[in-house]
Amino acid sequence: MSDAALVSLVTALADDELVLGHRHSEWTGFAPHLEEDVAFSSIAQDEIGHAAAYYSLVANLTDDDPDRLALGREPAEYRNAIFCERPNREWAFTLVRHWLYDTADALRLEALEQSAHPELAALATKIRREERYHLIHADSWIKRVARGPVEGRTRLADATASAFPETIGLFEPFEDEEAAVKHGWLPVPSDELRRRFYDKVNPMLDELGLPTETHPHAAARAEFVASSSGDLISEGSGETSDAEGADDALGGRRGRHTPDLDALWTEMTTQYRSHPGARW
Amino acid sequence: MEVYEVFRRTGHKEPFEHCGAVIAPDPEMALLMAKECFLRRREGQHLWVARRSDIHSFSDESLLEIAADKSYRFAEGYRDVVAKRERARARVKELAES
Repeated sequence: MSDAALVSLVTALADDELVLGHRHSEWTGFAPHLEEDVAFSSIAQDEIGHAAAYYSLVANLTDDDPDRLALGREPAEYRNAIFCERPNREWAFTLVRHWLYDTADALRLEALEQSAHPELAALATKIRREERYHLIHADSWIKRVARGPVEGRTRLADATASAFPETIGLFEPFEDEEAAVKHGWLPVPSDELRRRFYDKVNPMLDELGLPTETHPHAAARAEFVASSSGDLISEGSGETSDAEGADDALGGRRGRHTPDLDALWTEMTTQYRSHPGARW
Repeated sequence: MEVYEVFRRTGHKEPFEHCGAVIAPDPEMALLMAKECFLRRREGQHLWVARRSDIHSFSDESLLEIAADKSYRFAEGYRDVVAKRERARARVKELAES
């Protein structure tokens, strides 16, 4: 009855939002200042709300329960990019990931507004309205930290050096992507979204003096050319340590995750697993 | 970082009302923070932020106190005018007759 390619596509979209939303929510009570604590918690709720909307769409297609889809699956059934499951580390990393993710998500939603699946297209339009604000929030932070005092700049540059190569995972093809593209459900294939993303993000990173280097293996596999910015690349931010990271960045769309997701999953699903069938 | 006072209004015909303050490095960030802190439950339709240091007030608030009787500035102060007028007419009449 259901179309596997559509289910796989929307599930991956939902999992990205849920997992990153959960990571964002871990800042509640710990963000750098009170106002940002409220703001970032609100953004986390928005992302989880988007996930809920995507899961409902999947649940309609497969006659399933959105809560079960969100919280009742095993880690290996999640299709989020590994980029989203990485721990928050510090504010600079969270911030740069928030910015990179929402920039990528904006391009993805722009494409999905043209989806041949009317419900998905309508949902993309609705979600995009809220994501517009998320992007303004992320942009505002990144610009200020990147142009601010040296400590913040250095931390942001280090965070970018480790986060940026892993963005590749966001553009790993969805399962059955060919079918989704053929039906027009995914109007722009992941390869093309990836190109658009790097075309957009590389000049912005260059302008802010943030590193745009990606691991050569990942780059080769993904067939894009990395550019380099200069100034603020921290020493040794790279070759050897990033090598594993970048290879690890792929696999999420096929359910091959890192132990980071296991830890997140254990916490995220505690309530669901300890009180099966509970309603509230 | 500076303190920004936040004002919001609930509808297009309503006045902006003070609803709190945020700490932010500049007006743009202040607006973003204010949106999440004071408008995320649809409490209003629009927001203003203003640097607290741009808001001016009297340093000595006792200047604002009204010390003497200013009842003549209120309509209520004229409530017994009719009665006073009646009394005055009566006196005039009295004087004229005497």
